[in-house]
Amino acid sequence: MKHLTKLSTIAAATGLGALLATGVTGCTQQQQEQQQAKGAFVIIEETALGKYKIVDEFPAEETRIVLKKLDGSENVLTQAQLDALIKEEAAKVDAGTSELTQENPQASQGMGLGSTIMASMAGAMLGAWIGNKLFGNQNYQNNRKAGYKSPSTYSKSKKSFNKPRSTSSKKGGFFGGKKSSSRSGGFFGG
Amino acid sequence: MLNLQKTTPLDTDYLESLGFVWHTDSDETSYISDELLVLSEAEAEAYYEATNELYDMVVESAEHVIENNLFHDIGIPFNLVDVIKESWENDVHWHLYGRFDLAGGIDGRPIKLLEFNADTPTALFETAIIQWAMLKQDGLEESSQFNALYEALIDNFKRFVTLEEDVSAFEERYDGWDFLFTSVKGNSEEENTVRLLQHIATEAGYQTEFAYIDDIEFSAEEGISYNDKSYELWFKLIPWEDIALEESDLAMLLTNIIKNQKAIIFNPAYTLLFQSKGLLKILWDLYPDHPLLLETSFEPLEGQKQVKKPVFGREGGSVSILDADGNDLESVEGDYDNHKMVYQAYTELATDAQGLSYQAGVFYAYEACGLGFRKGGKILNNISKFVGHLVK
Repeated sequence: MKHLTKLSTIAAATGLGALLATGVTGCTQQQQEQQQAKGAFVIIEETALGKYKIVDEFPAEETRIVLKKLDGSENVLTQAQLDALIKEEAAKVDAGTSELTQENPQASQGMGLGSTIMASMAGAMLGAWIGNKLFGNQNYQNNRKAGYKSPSTYSKSKKSFNKPRSTSSKKGGFFGGKKSSSRSGGFFGG
Repeated sequence: MLNLQKTTPLDTDYLESLGFVWHTDSDETSYISDELLVLSEAEAEAYYEATNELYDMVVESAEHVIENNLFHDIGIPFNLVDVIKESWENDVHWHLYGRFDLAGGIDGRPIKLLEFNADTPTALFETAIIQWAMLKQDGLEESSQFNALYEALIDNFKRFVTLEEDVSAFEERYDGWDFLFTSVKGNSEEENTVRLLQHIATEAGYQTEFAYIDDIEFSAEEGISYNDKSYELWFKLIPWEDIALEESDLAMLLTNIIKNQKAIIFNPAYTLLFQSKGLLKILWDLYPDHPLLLETSFEPLEGQKQVKKPVFGREGGSVSILDADGNDLESVEGDYDNHKMVYQAYTELATDAQGLSYQAGVFYAYEACGLGFRKGGKILNNISKFVGHLVK
């Protein structure tokens, strides 16, 4: 049977043996999500007392976060306020008490202000230094989606942060915002 | 009972040095099982024969879809119909590889087609490389696997030029065409699967380059270019249906690039016909009661347990197992609820002592050429495990 093979045979006939010794050239770097915009304009709404959701966000030259409170007031958070909130949230992430890193079935009801900001793109930029702790956390990924007022805000936001660029005759930048699923296929699945 | 043989787990540093960085699942458990499934030569041979037969049937069914204009019926986006027909008409649009997901074949169960991942199959790295590495680590270099995937891909890459079974004329006919390999940014599993394919194409003798999809420029007149250099051959591990639904401008550009013969794209657009689970229904229409097929319909099947699944989906998303009365027994949530659904008769998978279900993935590159297994729950999700094998 031609297709039934031994490693010794196949390694001698092809580069498989070398590959098993050295790996695929240039394969070892892990890719992280790329950000193209420098900042973000984020609108956060208080949906219940002390609970917040992201209503909308756009790429922007510098980061601004607008807070709409329950009483109808609107104000822009200052850099000092932001720094303080992120620092506080980072301490919670370290202590394992952040809403973002826990399984959080209530996340869809809104989260605290610090968590909501970290769930936004702005948070991902401002708090890049704590991002590594959040990035691989599945609860963070889930809660982050829940931090948006509607699912479409989330996907629109993800898309607009990776704006396609284009030139006169050629077009490019396709799938700039795409983070596609992996391991296609399943027992009865895709 | 399944015959499983314990092995020494591969060191994660070694796996990373190979480029296999997705060795650990989100729940921190190893994605690679430390057991090998032991099967007989006859079982391996049966997978080989079944897969070759299924591929021929799939090709017949796709031809039937094209001749009878059934694209809409099997959920093909309208903006890909032209490029699918165009790619079907000319042999240069050669199918590089696909993976058949099969139930049975072990433990005395009959082989049944679950689906064919023909467009953007993963689990390539695991099947072609990792399960060999497991044998190597345990000093089993002289043991057999149904696994000629690596060399089958080398040969099939060469066929892009020779367009026939015999690949010996490749060196003579290859005229230096440049080959670009592409994935999306931010997914190391997909990127390294593509880099592995690029590595194999380089070994076959091509001049190759890698670029992320958003760094590439497309033009109906000038073709596909990256860093101001044009590429005649392009491999993308990006589903055609995503191109159709999310980047319709790109779908149009690629259609024109192919019509103007500016580049050849792999896997070809027609593999989306193979990939659609709607084709499972066409297969059943053309080959009713075929022993390798499960009854499949666009409407719920009457009086039998069945699986409802979207025509295009990933990681088991939006898949449900229904009982004979149509009640939901088990389901996985997903983003595909709005897709067209098919209903496929339920078949019991082989299970181990822990009750985990085993499914075979047989790779096809010109012929059936490599086998791997995955184990998990009844509906596979993204924490299923890869299981290597040994033929005794």
